[in-house]
Amino acid sequence: MSLRRTLAITRRLLAQFRHDHRTLALLFVAPILILGIFALLFENGTSPAALGVENLDRGGLGSRLVTRLEASELVAVEEASRPELDQSLEDGELDGFLVLPADLTERLGSGELGIELHVRGTDPGSTAAIQRAMAQAFPEALAGVLPPTGAGPPALDVEPIYRYGGAELDTLDLLGGPFIGLVVFFLVYVVTSVSFLRERTLGTLERLMASPLRRSEIVVGYMAGFTVIALVQAVEVLVFSVWLLDLYNAGNLLLVFLIEVLLALGAINLGIFLSTFARSEFQAVQFIPLVITPQILLSGLLVPVASEPEWLQLVSNVMPLTYAVDGLKAIMLEGRGLESGGLLTDLAVLAGFAVLALLAASTTLRRTVA
Amino acid sequence: MTKPTGPEAVRVAGLHKSFGPLVALDGIDLAVPPGQVYGLLGPNGAGKTTLIRCLVGLLHWEQGEVEVLGRRMPDESVLAEIGYMTQAAALYGDITAEDNVRFFAAIHGTGDIDAALRFVHLEDRRRSVTATLSGGMRTRLSLACTIVHRPRLLLLDEPTVGVDPQLRAELWDGLRAMAADGATIIVSSHVMDEAERCDRLGLILDGRLLAEGSADELRTQAGTDRLEDAFLALAAQGTRADAP
Repeated sequence: MSLRRTLAITRRLLAQFRHDHRTLALLFVAPILILGIFALLFENGTSPAALGVENLDRGGLGSRLVTRLEASELVAVEEASRPELDQSLEDGELDGFLVLPADLTERLGSGELGIELHVRGTDPGSTAAIQRAMAQAFPEALAGVLPPTGAGPPALDVEPIYRYGGAELDTLDLLGGPFIGLVVFFLVYVVTSVSFLRERTLGTLERLMASPLRRSEIVVGYMAGFTVIALVQAVEVLVFSVWLLDLYNAGNLLLVFLIEVLLALGAINLGIFLSTFARSEFQAVQFIPLVITPQILLSGLLVPVASEPEWLQLVSNVMPLTYAVDGLKAIMLEGRGLESGGLLTDLAVLAGFAVLALLAASTTLRRTVA
Repeated sequence: MTKPTGPEAVRVAGLHKSFGPLVALDGIDLAVPPGQVYGLLGPNGAGKTTLIRCLVGLLHWEQGEVEVLGRRMPDESVLAEIGYMTQAAALYGDITAEDNVRFFAAIHGTGDIDAALRFVHLEDRRRSVTATLSGGMRTRLSLACTIVHRPRLLLLDEPTVGVDPQLRAELWDGLRAMAADGATIIVSSHVMDEAERCDRLGLILDGRLLAEGSADELRTQAGTDRLEDAFLALAAQGTRADAP
């Protein structure tokens, strides 16, 4: 092994970096950006689960239990009537609610307490938090009202009633739906941006620009071509996830497909748009840590958007993947359809993003070469 | 500096173009009548490609006027009548030769694919994937894509690089035939036997048109027998005249 020859490689490599300021900047900026977002997401710990309570108990146990729950850091308690609680659970404002029966204190001796726990069931973390909070609060509440007997306090055995999904949902079911969106967005983006850039580096774009083709025709033509590929990919991803991975799905698969398509259209146009700002395939791929990674972290895939710091939620709310994740959860886990205002908003935002990226791509594509 | 008016296929007046501190075109005046084969001669970096790119509106210029086929550039409506061949054979490598020609015919809205492939002698390789063609074949295919829609103005940036002498002669016969049909051809080159086939030559150096005329006129002007020597002599005169 010749040191001189080896060092020639090293030296040339460093010289290349010296002339590629963007790569250099990315190498040092991207880790800070990504780790920074990561820290913001996880340093606060999880926010408390939103727990509603309807306390009908005529005796003292119900209000003692509510007081203890209010003191818990695991849940944020809000008292309301049953119809309001049902609505809030439906709207996603609550993670779960408790109904404490009128004869709760009287039932103490009988063993069966009749407490109902309703949970959304789409976020196992909050269900677990509610159950832990109850397990802690109940013995404390009992200590004041329970007549000292030889037998221990009655066990709190409340089986949650799931609004969506159920206890059988595993992590795959919960993450799988949103992941479909991520996979489609990521792959379509990468393929589009690199292949459009090849048009530029091979010189064929220069030829197209010297032809009667309009810029919008180029972009829309590209979009249509990649849409064909993306549609096939979307069908494949769906079939694989729902039938082979047995991913839980309570909703209409056509709506899942619609989200995939809108997301793919957005990714195609974004890929063309951003390829304008890259001089090589290398630089186009470098957009991934800037464009894709923050979306993975901030879309609600890993941490619910609502538990992010408020200003970070603003960032999440301008990212298309956030709406795809929200929509895919609403369809697949909650079985929602087009009657849901939330889902319609998700679809509208995704469609709007695709159009916006299309306009951006056609206006930044210049006819001139320098 | 002349005002660009009149029946010329291409008219350029006082064209200045720079890239930052680098002056690429330094006051070019040019007039090419319809049906003429005009050769732009000059070493690498002289400004030939920059001039051609200005003619198709691919570059903005700071000063001067460009008129192509009677329309003042930049004007996208004239692009349908132009055939522009880039210096590197810009083609889609993963589709067949025929598909490349068909694509360029389609974006121009017209074209005889078979005739274009015959023109460059690639009929028997029409179904070959473009990436598998040799360098010279790709150059010819690129030319086929440029002429497929029968443009009125051909702008060819070093069109015969890597093409063997015999085929080059045949291609030039074809180009001369197109010119005889009325097409105007502007071709950049630094190959002297190609220059001999042009009706008129313009010698470009450092962004300026140093000399213009037929091959014979340039030889007489330089007092040499060979075009190559004339080229070198005129370039040397131009550089000397430039010295303070």
